[in-house]
Amino acid sequence: MTLTDERPSSEEVAVNPRLERAARRRESWRGFLHAVPAYVYLILFFVLPLMIVFVFSFASRSRTGRPELENWNVDGWTRLTDDLVSTIVTRSLVVATLNTVLCLIIGYQFAYWIATRRKQSTRTILLILVLIPFWSNFLVRTYAWRMLLDSDGYITQLGELTGLWGRMLFTLPAVFIGLLYGYLPFMVLPLYAAIERIDWSLVEAGRDLYASGTKAFMKITLPLSKPGIIAGSILVFIPSLGAYVTPDILGGAKTTLLGNFIVTQFGAARNWPFGSALSSAILIVMLAATIVYFRSGARTV
Amino acid sequence: MSIDGAPAVGLHGVTKKFGEDVVAVDDMELEIRDGEFFSLLGPSGCGKTTTLRMIAGLEYPTDGSIRIFGEEMGLRPPNKRPVNTVFQSYALFPHMNVEQNVGFGLRMQGVDRSTERQRVNEAIDLVRLSGLNTRRPGALSGGQQQRVALARALVNRPKVLLLDEPLGALDLKLRQTMQLELKDIQADVGITFIYVTHDQEEALTMSDRIGVMSEGKLVQVGVSEDIYESPSNLFVASFVGDMSFLPAEVVEPGSVRLAGGELVRAKTNSSPGTSVTLALRPEKLHLFADASQVPPDRNTLNGTVARRTFYGESLFYEVDVGASGSFDVRVENLPVMRRWEVGDKVVVDFHPDSTTALAE
Repeated sequence: MTLTDERPSSEEVAVNPRLERAARRRESWRGFLHAVPAYVYLILFFVLPLMIVFVFSFASRSRTGRPELENWNVDGWTRLTDDLVSTIVTRSLVVATLNTVLCLIIGYQFAYWIATRRKQSTRTILLILVLIPFWSNFLVRTYAWRMLLDSDGYITQLGELTGLWGRMLFTLPAVFIGLLYGYLPFMVLPLYAAIERIDWSLVEAGRDLYASGTKAFMKITLPLSKPGIIAGSILVFIPSLGAYVTPDILGGAKTTLLGNFIVTQFGAARNWPFGSALSSAILIVMLAATIVYFRSGARTV
Repeated sequence: MSIDGAPAVGLHGVTKKFGEDVVAVDDMELEIRDGEFFSLLGPSGCGKTTTLRMIAGLEYPTDGSIRIFGEEMGLRPPNKRPVNTVFQSYALFPHMNVEQNVGFGLRMQGVDRSTERQRVNEAIDLVRLSGLNTRRPGALSGGQQQRVALARALVNRPKVLLLDEPLGALDLKLRQTMQLELKDIQADVGITFIYVTHDQEEALTMSDRIGVMSEGKLVQVGVSEDIYESPSNLFVASFVGDMSFLPAEVVEPGSVRLAGGELVRAKTNSSPGTSVTLALRPEKLHLFADASQVPPDRNTLNGTVARRTFYGESLFYEVDVGASGSFDVRVENLPVMRRWEVGDKVVVDFHPDSTTALAE
């Protein structure tokens, strides 16, 4: 072939810009089609219900407490300033934060230990062990804790034997035990993924550059596991904040948390607008907070 | 504290085993002088990187003694050794910028802020990266990352700098530039460099001395010329540079007989009757049309051109000398040089001093 300035005539070429554009459009359309089932499902059963909740937060109540979609008002939203609400929100935030921190401290060490096992098969077995609790229902497992923590439960007996603790069921510690147990795997898995990805020659370089083992961990390993810390914290914090089953079964009535409080609004209190406003408000705040948290992490990693 | 006159690094009986039966380094004896550019050369898996890691303290020897300026290192952790490493993968901290990467070692040693700034800037200048202080490693080219890794190690003024195939990931042109630069920097700072490489050309051009390793053992230590001109065994001969081999038998000192019966004068001290391998460098052989053109006191062999390969600056002719075997002849690509065709009858000539007879 020789090099000339002449363009080949259209019969000689297989592709031109118009055909290339059309091919790209077909490609992207096919990609969208694959996503359609998920879109339909999420819109029908996730977005729509959330919008219904939002609409109900402006509804009014009949004398018997039945929600009525007329006389639109913001009573539900103004009640958010009640002292009771701030007490429960504060308590929930403290519980969720503490649980996240506990999960992080315990989960990090465990994830680090798994990620640093030399043999792939050892790591796989340890990860499967982390996932084993998911093989049975969360409710069933929480009831199991109830038995362990009750007067004649093994844990209570052990506490009485050693004189260190008594019956913990229906107290705040019982809620913590339940939450830690329930959400620890959600911390371990993303942490493991992040730690396993770390290039260990970076830690070696740190040691070579006069960092002690502890310093190398603080300056290199920890910052590089940040994506896992962020993902794990979000996965633990958000469900802890809205936890319902655990505080309900293990905490009893004295330790009302947000989840239980909202459920009460839709049940015994018969105040749907207030329950809806509370749900919507938490959702909006958490969404904003999560976005900020992710952004801060994305910048520094 | 260091002992005056002690070698920069002394390895005595150093052995490293991984598990029970993998011997990575086998009973190594080596002394590296102060201020020397020393290369450990060998194929992958020969134990050269393991040796370097043991000096750095990233691995501990199974047996033996490692001394740095006379001081026994024993099981001392890497952060307490007066050496720094330039890693093969560079191992730059991705979450820190150039300045922070370079200053890491000084910060860990608790050097005060203003001294740190000054020395970091000096080091960045030394590797010619000024202006990139606040860049993250991810935003640097391979060559720039390499310089950061070098600056990060040099800024600490180690007594010995360890370099693990530092130029391996760079393309040819950049590698050649960096070779010269590294050599200049070493002359500048006067620090002992221990350079691990599998690239024999790199080792030959840069080093004051080379240690050739094979299967965990140090097989020859010497200056570049010695390694190239007088390889101590077949492994070194074949690993360093191009080499053709012909089986032969010693007839008397200074004379060997090839498999085809030709008598050839060669450097050998082996006793008559010993089987040896005659090793020939392609660039030390010449081709002629007939024996009358060959200068006196040279060896001559009659052969046929079996293959011609064009390399740009030179051509390689594979010459078949019948029962004695075949070997390569390198001919400069000069206008005056005759181009031979496959099948041409040729006379190969070589000086007795440019042959090496290696005992089996």
